[in-house]
Amino acid sequence: MKNFKTEIRFFSIPEWKKEENYLREQHKNSWEFVAVNGLCLYHFKKCEPKDMIYQLDYNPDSIYQKYEYIQLFGDCGWEYLQNYAGYSYFRKAASETDTAGEEIFCDDASRLDMMKRVFKGRMIPLLIMLFSIIIPQIIMQSQFNTPFNHGLLVFFCVMFIIYLVIFISFAIPYWNYYKSAHKK
Amino acid sequence: MDSHIKKVYVPMTETGFYILLCLREEAHGYGIVKKTEQLTHGEIKISPGTLYGSLSKMEKDGLIQFIREEENRKIYCITELGTQVLDLEMKRIERLYKNMMGAK
Repeated sequence: MKNFKTEIRFFSIPEWKKEENYLREQHKNSWEFVAVNGLCLYHFKKCEPKDMIYQLDYNPDSIYQKYEYIQLFGDCGWEYLQNYAGYSYFRKAASETDTAGEEIFCDDASRLDMMKRVFKGRMIPLLIMLFSIIIPQIIMQSQFNTPFNHGLLVFFCVMFIIYLVIFISFAIPYWNYYKSAHKK
Repeated sequence: MDSHIKKVYVPMTETGFYILLCLREEAHGYGIVKKTEQLTHGEIKISPGTLYGSLSKMEKDGLIQFIREEENRKIYCITELGTQVLDLEMKRIERLYKNMMGAK
């Protein structure tokens, strides 16, 4: 009987909700999250099945006052697990929450603030790559007529589409929170 | 008060309002959560992610100030500017309330 397992899972930048659900499902199926490291390697250990709510916060500033940050979440009953690529991982037993689906954010204004931090920290570097590498390469490679250039052209076009999907999947929830936070 | 502060904080979110209200006395983050819960008879429970984000933003904008630290808990208090913002918001809510009662 295996007591540990490792899974490779890729979640793109705007998909932290999906990641939270993935970790919760694993715990329900008696696999407790231990750590995530390397290139999207998720480590689990065998446990009693339990409904645990997992939450991610993105707050790079918090590393400057890490103890205070963890203490505040701890006071509110959220166990700090680790930091990975700027995201902090927390969990709390569903049985300890008073309302079904308690989260570390309680209004859309603060959910939007988190998206803004993610945009600043993670999306802007992508945008810079898009405009300084991918788009110029697509234009450049389409000028030459060799199989090698065609290959590169296909590669950069695929990259372009992946980027587009990431941006759109970021923009939709962003717009929804924006609308809801400005409806006051 | 500059227009930026006014634009961001008036009107305020309910969480933001209770944070400033509680910080008329010195308090740390969890103290704000408990006090708000008490004031609203358990109806409003401020979540730590929301609270942490709001406290950092309000401190940066000068609405509250850091006083000291006790056992990894930062203690804050409202500033002069914060009091002005809170007063503006209170007046707005008072007007809302009066009009609501008048319309009944």
